[in-house]
Amino acid sequence: MNQMLEIKDLKVSIEGKQILKGVNLTVNKGEVHAIMGPNGSGKSTLASVIAGREDYTVDNGSITFNGKDILELSADERAKEGLFLAFQYPVEIPGVSTINFLKTALAEIRQYRGQPPMEAKDFLKLMKEKQKLVEIEANLTGRSVNEGFSGGEKKRNEVFQMAMLEPALAIMDETDSGLDIDALRIVAEGVNKLRTGENAFIVITHYQRLLEYITPDFVHVLYKGRIVKSGGRELALELESKGYDWIKKEFPEPAV
Amino acid sequence: MTLTQEKPDYKRIVSDGQITAGSGGIIGKWLGEVKRRLGDSAPELKQIQNNAASEFTKTGLPGKKDEDYKYTNIRQYLQEDFIASKDGLNIDKTSIAPYLLKDAVNLVFINDRYAAELSNREMLPEEVSAGDLFATPDTLRDKVTDNFNKAAGRSDNPMALLNTALAANGFYIRVPKNFSCVVPVHILHITSGDGKRLYNPRNLVYMEENSQLTLMESYYNTGKGRIFTNSATELFIKDNGALENYIMQDEGAGSMHNDLRFYTIGRGAKTNCVTVSFNGGMLRNDCNVFIPGEHAEAHLNGLFILKGNNHTDNHTLVEHLAPNCSSKELYKGIIGDTATGVFNGKIYVHPQAQKTDAYQSNKNVLTGDKATIDTKPQLEIYADDVRCSHGTTTGKLDGDALFYLESRGINKQLAKKVLLQAFAKEVSDAIKNETFRAVVERKIDDYTA
Repeated sequence: MNQMLEIKDLKVSIEGKQILKGVNLTVNKGEVHAIMGPNGSGKSTLASVIAGREDYTVDNGSITFNGKDILELSADERAKEGLFLAFQYPVEIPGVSTINFLKTALAEIRQYRGQPPMEAKDFLKLMKEKQKLVEIEANLTGRSVNEGFSGGEKKRNEVFQMAMLEPALAIMDETDSGLDIDALRIVAEGVNKLRTGENAFIVITHYQRLLEYITPDFVHVLYKGRIVKSGGRELALELESKGYDWIKKEFPEPAV
Repeated sequence: MTLTQEKPDYKRIVSDGQITAGSGGIIGKWLGEVKRRLGDSAPELKQIQNNAASEFTKTGLPGKKDEDYKYTNIRQYLQEDFIASKDGLNIDKTSIAPYLLKDAVNLVFINDRYAAELSNREMLPEEVSAGDLFATPDTLRDKVTDNFNKAAGRSDNPMALLNTALAANGFYIRVPKNFSCVVPVHILHITSGDGKRLYNPRNLVYMEENSQLTLMESYYNTGKGRIFTNSATELFIKDNGALENYIMQDEGAGSMHNDLRFYTIGRGAKTNCVTVSFNGGMLRNDCNVFIPGEHAEAHLNGLFILKGNNHTDNHTLVEHLAPNCSSKELYKGIIGDTATGVFNGKIYVHPQAQKTDAYQSNKNVLTGDKATIDTKPQLEIYADDVRCSHGTTTGKLDGDALFYLESRGINKQLAKKVLLQAFAKEVSDAIKNETFRAVVERKIDDYTA
């Protein structure tokens, strides 16, 4: 089956306020989708809801991942099914080393999939291999998760975790925010190295900049809780030159 | 002076004692007996115990009206008729084995009494003396027993008075001048048996100038009865000495334990105290640190993990009496279900204690909707050139961190455990002895399940 993720008429609210007002999106294997939009349009909400954050209420619609209704699954089960969220603001967790954290996560995922536990030496080998791949310093992974990391280090650690867990679908929530151009390039190169014909990416971003490094197959514009425009790579460039005011003018009062 | 005396037969005390005015109930009966029994003991001890007993009759048991016991009403807990007896000694070497620590001297106390046959002291360096305080060899009298009640006697805490009045069992350790005791000493205190019992261990640690010691203490209760342990330990660390003191309390919901500690820290001396408490029915830790020597350093660390309807109260008092000293304090609580926790830490800086550097922190995680913590950090400063601060935080587990772990495939229950263990780690990491730290970490693992 080629189709990986299918979101149908998704309406989501938090504390009684509706944020997503009917989102439709289909992502197939091997594709990279970019979701762009002005602040407050619901981009991060969409990412959180797909990943299984409980603070939101799904009022309507469905999310199917590899044929499974994932709205019925908890966040950890979704991860075990092959979903990954790279956080906009990766959380610092003092006292938990990145190594132990990933060891625990991998063990849980493997158990869920009926795979045997990984040998310690194989795990360390995998760590080394992936550290090299995403160009993250070994001393970062030896420390507590994200504790005292710079913005760039945190984002690189997200890509490193993604490399370790090898998700089928990775959602990158504003991974470019707060990154200087060098960090952006390293993060983007890491992602490009992880691309295969079998996995897919949803890249959420405010700016076109990241898309110069990660070339999307599709670009969607999320505005006021709906995808109001979809197109190819050129849509991102058009947005860059015209700005979001163009969208705001075109959709002053989105039809209900 | 000698502390050697007849061990009291508490059963007899209960049956024929008399009630002493002001103290009420069962405690009064004991005091009556103490007064009677002291007729045969050493005059110095008799006087100390008599004085403590008579002071105690004035104060009585601490209760709700005492500010220091506002949240831990000892009087209420001791309403029942508690007795202590000589039985419960049917523990053999095989059943004690899992409690002993490897690469350490193990001194075993069962129901308060020193059990020489269960202890292993082969590794104890001959320079160090340790054993039953109330059977101290005559040769050590001057060094050890002359210090009896020198620190606790300064306190007007009723439980300290009670402990002194009833003192008849406990351990002592003496480390001579310039000696570093490389082998750690482990005191294993096990209570067992049925019914309602009261224990009253009284301990003394005397470290001479420039000596070093690691002292580890474990408290377990294996019986099905209800116990009340009122323990008191005086620890003297003379100039330039260094003490590592680790205390693990795992006595279960049926136990009540009031632990008093009095550290006296000399010039240039250092102490690091780590107290880890698991789910005691009622636990009250009173940790008193007196710092009369200049350039001394005290570290106090505490962790308490509570579930059910249990209660733990950590009281600390750090008294800075000399200039250029530092004290660092960190207490962490994990409180679940309907359990109640208390932290009350006081730093008292006397006028002469200039350049004091004192810090105190209390952090709590409430894992149950009905769990509570009463926390009260206090600074009393009478010197004008000091650096003192305190802080306290209480909250639930960080939802963002929890989701972060879950989003990587870790189920919620395990994610909570991972976060709680990380929270606890800061305290358990202060335990430098690997064997003891491993025991504590295993218990943290069990109690955060």
